[in-house]
Amino acid sequence: MAKKYSTTASRKFGTGQLILLICLLIFTVFTFGPVLLVFISALTDEMTISQNGFSFFPAKWSTAGFSSVLRYGHQLIMSYGVTIFVTVIGTFLGLMVMSMYAYSMSRHDFKLTGFLSIFLLIPMLFNGGTLSGYIVFTSYYGLKDSLLLLILPLCVSTMNVIILRTYIANSIPGELMEAAKIDGAGDYRTFFQITLPLMKPSLAAVGFMMATAYWNDWQNALLYITSDNKKPLQLLLINIQKSIEFLLNNNNVPAAARAAMGGTIPQYSATMATVVVVIAPIMVIYPFFQKYFIKGLTVGSVKG
Amino acid sequence: MKSFLENTWKNRAHVVLALPVFLILFFIMYVPMSGLVMAFKDFNYAQGIFGSPWANPLLKNFEFLFASKDTFINFTKNTVLYYLLFTAVGTFLNVTLAIAIDQLMLKRAAKTMQTLMIIPVFISYAAVQFIVYAFIASDTGMINNVFGTNIRFYSKAGYWPWILLITKVWKDTGYGSVLYMSVLAGIDTSLYEAADIDGANKWQQIRHITIPSLIPMVTVMLLLSVGNVMHSDTGLFYQVTRNSGILYSTTQVIDSYVLNAIFKSSNFGFTAATSFFQSIVGLLLMLLANGMVRKIEPENALF
Repeated sequence: MAKKYSTTASRKFGTGQLILLICLLIFTVFTFGPVLLVFISALTDEMTISQNGFSFFPAKWSTAGFSSVLRYGHQLIMSYGVTIFVTVIGTFLGLMVMSMYAYSMSRHDFKLTGFLSIFLLIPMLFNGGTLSGYIVFTSYYGLKDSLLLLILPLCVSTMNVIILRTYIANSIPGELMEAAKIDGAGDYRTFFQITLPLMKPSLAAVGFMMATAYWNDWQNALLYITSDNKKPLQLLLINIQKSIEFLLNNNNVPAAARAAMGGTIPQYSATMATVVVVIAPIMVIYPFFQKYFIKGLTVGSVKG
Repeated sequence: MKSFLENTWKNRAHVVLALPVFLILFFIMYVPMSGLVMAFKDFNYAQGIFGSPWANPLLKNFEFLFASKDTFINFTKNTVLYYLLFTAVGTFLNVTLAIAIDQLMLKRAAKTMQTLMIIPVFISYAAVQFIVYAFIASDTGMINNVFGTNIRFYSKAGYWPWILLITKVWKDTGYGSVLYMSVLAGIDTSLYEAADIDGANKWQQIRHITIPSLIPMVTVMLLLSVGNVMHSDTGLFYQVTRNSGILYSTTQVIDSYVLNAIFKSSNFGFTAATSFFQSIVGLLLMLLANGMVRKIEPENALF
């Protein structure tokens, strides 16, 4: 990158560059502003929001939002646990089995390779859809309300296996694996001790994308999870929204009861505080993985 | 045949290594494919997918499908139109943003801004829904407060194509530009140097060097996306709209319709026919798209 501008960098920072900078700043505000609003609203006084509306410059600040998050803390901690469990187990399981498959496909004198590629490709072209998945998983496998349905559907993706296979083919010298063979290492040993450790950059890229997919998955949770102790964070968010809507729209709730609940039902600032709690972990770790996932994107698009 | 078996036995370690993914794909992806026969059945839970009687006439579910203007025709039209809108606007903005970031001389500032622009892609729609609400709620929403209006966005379907477009652009543009930036980073610098010497200004350089070198990637990405016309970003249409029935005329897409049908446990025959239609059309479009990519940029074809 630096070399590319060796001739143009000497040019002075002119009007064109200034306009460009301003346009990019406006777009940055457009994208990051709403994220900032979440944090500001979470720290705004509840009454201020209900009277003046959401604002970047609230009249009164307050940490009550976070306090009321702690009040229904038991469920939050449980949901945090479920989300972390599903994310960690799913990501590691997926990375392990997908690299094994990718390694197995990369073997030249293995006659099943063609079959393995086609078997991998078909689900990308054709699938049974959400409805038949739902019926098969719940009535035939009997997995309703099982964490397996949060883990397995996102565990293997064709695109990710292709990325890993491309990485093995292009970035790991075949001679290295041959040498290990000659030195007497078996197939398993070659994979676990030579290939897998060398796959680290591609594993980081794919792993980060998988982890965010697990962390943000709401659809499988909404479809399959019913009991409170298996509810992940995203389902908790959906439930919060539904219960607020119910209270606001349901006229059968007596005014007195509604007023009494008004204090405990997470309204504006408390809801935003919950959103902060849900999105913050990804925002914190993402900068560390940025360079890897950018590489992963590039590898995936330029298939070898 | 014998040599095939011998080869497989010799490479049995590879068979074992491939087995876990094989099993997961088989049970999670392949077995549900058989559920598509529901489209030709009078489904009821008690008898299950295979025990339920065949529909009489066999295509009964499909007859309902094509006769229903306010559901099937409407959500299919929405699905396709949103695909076209998002793809056209999205591609234009992704490319523009990539060029803009690439052209900025202040490299550190460009990098920081890019990092901030990518963040929204990592926020789930279950959370995005609250952010959109903060802007468009009728009483506490920022837009109504700043402009002193009292628009009830959540009950006026006409506004939603705009709201969804802006939300989509906000969420995906920063991330979408990353791929094109990596192409820009690979352009041979001598091209720019030669253009400089020949007296070409910045605009001419962008028009005659930068944009032409992006076109192959843009073509490939567009063609590959054709295979996904029938699938939408479900969260955008289900969560951000709060799944509000008043808005369905402009917000319901195939995926969100199917989700609703599952939760209401209703109309399974109709929904199964919809899924069947979605899968078959998706398959045909995917084959078509890949065929075209194969013609233009063979090394980018999926198969």
